[in-house]
Amino acid sequence: MQQGRILFLTGLLAATCAHADTPAPPSPGGVLRLAGTTSAGTLDPQISYMHVTYQVEAIVYDGLTTFPKTPGPADRHAIPDLADAIPTPQDNGLTYRFHLRPGIRFSNGHPVTAEDVAASMRRLFRVNSPTAGPYYSHIVGGDACLRDPEHCTLAGGVIADNATGTVTFHLTHPDSEFMDRLAFQHASILPADTPAHDMGNTAPIGTGPYRIVSYEPTSSMVLERNPYFQQWDAEAQPAGYPDSIHYTFGLDPESEVTAVENGQFDWMEGVPLDRQAEVGRRFAPQVRITDSLNVFYAALNVNEPPFNNLLARQALNYAVNRKAIVIYGGGPTVSVPACQMLPQGSPGFEPSCLYTKGATFEHPAQQWQAPDLEKARDLIRRSGTAGQHVTIIAPSAAGHSAVATDLRDTLTDLGYIASVRTISPVAEFAYIQNSDNKIQIGLTGWSADYPAASSFLQTLFSCATFVPHSDNSVNISQFCNHDIDALMQRAATVAVTDRAAGDTLWAEVSRRLMEQAPAVPLDQARSVSLLSNRVKSDVATAIYGAVFSQFRVR
Amino acid sequence: MLLVLLKRLGQTVFVLFGISVMVFLVFLATPGTDPTSRIAGKNASPQTIERVRHEYGFDRPLPVQYATMMKKLFITQDLASYANRGELVVPELAKAAPITLSLAAGAAVIWVSVSICMGTVAAAFRNTWIDRTLMMIGLVGLSIPVFWLGQVANLITQARFHDTWLFSWVPGPGYIPFSESPLGWFRALVIPWCTLAVLFIGLYARILRADLVSVMDEDFMRTARAKGLSPLRVLLVHGLRTSMISFISMFGMDFAQLIGGGALLTEVVFGLGGVGRLTYQAMGALDLPLIMASVMYSAVFVVLANALVDVIYLVLDPRVRDGR
Repeated sequence: MQQGRILFLTGLLAATCAHADTPAPPSPGGVLRLAGTTSAGTLDPQISYMHVTYQVEAIVYDGLTTFPKTPGPADRHAIPDLADAIPTPQDNGLTYRFHLRPGIRFSNGHPVTAEDVAASMRRLFRVNSPTAGPYYSHIVGGDACLRDPEHCTLAGGVIADNATGTVTFHLTHPDSEFMDRLAFQHASILPADTPAHDMGNTAPIGTGPYRIVSYEPTSSMVLERNPYFQQWDAEAQPAGYPDSIHYTFGLDPESEVTAVENGQFDWMEGVPLDRQAEVGRRFAPQVRITDSLNVFYAALNVNEPPFNNLLARQALNYAVNRKAIVIYGGGPTVSVPACQMLPQGSPGFEPSCLYTKGATFEHPAQQWQAPDLEKARDLIRRSGTAGQHVTIIAPSAAGHSAVATDLRDTLTDLGYIASVRTISPVAEFAYIQNSDNKIQIGLTGWSADYPAASSFLQTLFSCATFVPHSDNSVNISQFCNHDIDALMQRAATVAVTDRAAGDTLWAEVSRRLMEQAPAVPLDQARSVSLLSNRVKSDVATAIYGAVFSQFRVR
Repeated sequence: MLLVLLKRLGQTVFVLFGISVMVFLVFLATPGTDPTSRIAGKNASPQTIERVRHEYGFDRPLPVQYATMMKKLFITQDLASYANRGELVVPELAKAAPITLSLAAGAAVIWVSVSICMGTVAAAFRNTWIDRTLMMIGLVGLSIPVFWLGQVANLITQARFHDTWLFSWVPGPGYIPFSESPLGWFRALVIPWCTLAVLFIGLYARILRADLVSVMDEDFMRTARAKGLSPLRVLLVHGLRTSMISFISMFGMDFAQLIGGGALLTEVVFGLGGVGRLTYQAMGALDLPLIMASVMYSAVFVVLANALVDVIYLVLDPRVRDGR
């Protein structure tokens, strides 16, 4: 069965690539019907941190910059959106002056002004945007806004000039990813008079080709055309094809697949493993497999035995059979074995596999080949940790449980007394982050907000992202190495003026990090979607997934 | 009478208080369920987390948090979900209730009528092949898990035979309001009704048969027969009425439990946005306000159903009435 699925999906990989053509000129019409399992949560683009919302609101809101909404590689950086160009950094990367494109209007007819941009930047602090701290607090005045959001002015940080349509940003330190961060949905530009609180079920006014006209979090969302939208850039925010988009929430994935097969819906994402063979065999031209920047990994707590021992961490990396992990993930067409915490396609990614048969730290392999149990057992013997109890914490979801069981068997082979503890997926992510829970291994995944090496390496493994006793401490491994921290800082600084040199340094960070083995990278997943036969053409990107405005329906 | 009502009201309040305290404390005592981190978002800065904690009142003493939640749930009715922050849980439950009511009522009509027929026929022909066949069918229905039956029903009606004349009339998963299209409402619900009813038909038919058989030799049945009444009249009018007491008692509890969200699996499998699925979603998202509201809602129905069943006892069984 498993083999069958792999063959079917391998066979249709070529077919899935064929859809990635440059979209034809818009020929509007039709209703696009989407099916989803979970609702979108709050619609406030400056607060929401869910994939569903990110995907839908990509065609509702714009930032000064955005990510291309056309097919292409995953590592493309931000392009101008409401701004007419990416500004040249001034003052050694501390100042950026944007000029707004003229004539762009919100869906209420009001023109977009420089003051709207400044107000939106202030608002993201006032509404406690999740990324206000990590992404935007280095804007001059950002720290003060973080401490006292209600009185946030960003004075001296964001200076708007309505007369000339320019907005000037001043930063406290250079940031090579500032353009990407402005392209993230939390920096969406909203009218200056948007209330400074979570808008919940009411979508704020936007500038994209669609506007959300109704939303019931547990059942449905309807998008209709923004009557004031005029396409300004086909790559940044292309005009939409469907007249309206109806999103239905709450179906289980099995029912979604059946409903799309029957033509009752036009799109669903996340075809369950047990249906992949069926859709591959019967609906191959309607299946889409999309690359995305993510990594599924086992975080090893470097402050708890036995993984406070470097040799034990390295041993587990050598021993884990990624081939099995890939099979649990749906086969090689939809899952790629991971050798490092930086996913393939990410800026700074260089093929390098330290922990595979035949590889050494001096001569890493290009890709994972096979586990090296002999070397792993030798390392365990030298570490003196055999016989210790190890508990794996995993989300209580079918695929994750299988991986956890496989890891348990590997640990048992290495001489540990291993067990698995599964926890509700929602609680697990918070549970493994909190150092008070003293986890040893936590299974989890991470995906990028925007294409950058730092999104994985710095966010997950820098000293600053380990917050003891907190459910919000994404450095689950509790890893803190000041040399690697300094190298990450250097990579970020160099990239301000020389992105290629920065990427080379990030590749070095990735290698150095894996030498310390604070985690066991397992695999990188591709997203599998199913379209109805009403869909004539579609577009998907690594950051947004499906770009719904570019779906043409019969 | 007034005293009985007041007593029942007092019991209801006590039960609701106990359940709500238990839900509240169990939720907060579970590691990883602190809503602050999920509301603040992944990788939020410590300052943002503190702000969220303060704004949502999670930094206040537990009794205050509990009292505030109860006030928002029962008095001001503006308790909002932690997962979908614009969603007020009371109106959300009010929207879901008619869906669950439609599902449970339709299934109840099927299971009550079919099980009465099955139980009565089995009792009338007791110890014959008809009796054994009917009871075996009932046992099979009783043994089939509803989520499996639902998936198989979906597989047949939505996938394998959806394009044939047999099931092409079945709409996609989801609910169609009666006000929008009575025919669509019926079509969307008829398969879920049958699926949900199967389990109860088996159970109720067996219970009714057993009760009917046990009353056959009672004095009042002998008297009825001695009066020269026809066997059919004796069975249906005298026997069935008395035997319906356990039936009604069970029905009251089961129906209340279904209305209160017990049809969770059926609702999830068929994509019906009722109270059960709302509870399921709330549990999946660890959304305390919605969990609390749906548990309270369910508890109210169970307590009310208990009271209603007591009243129906009085009507049905003269012995209960006379004994009071």
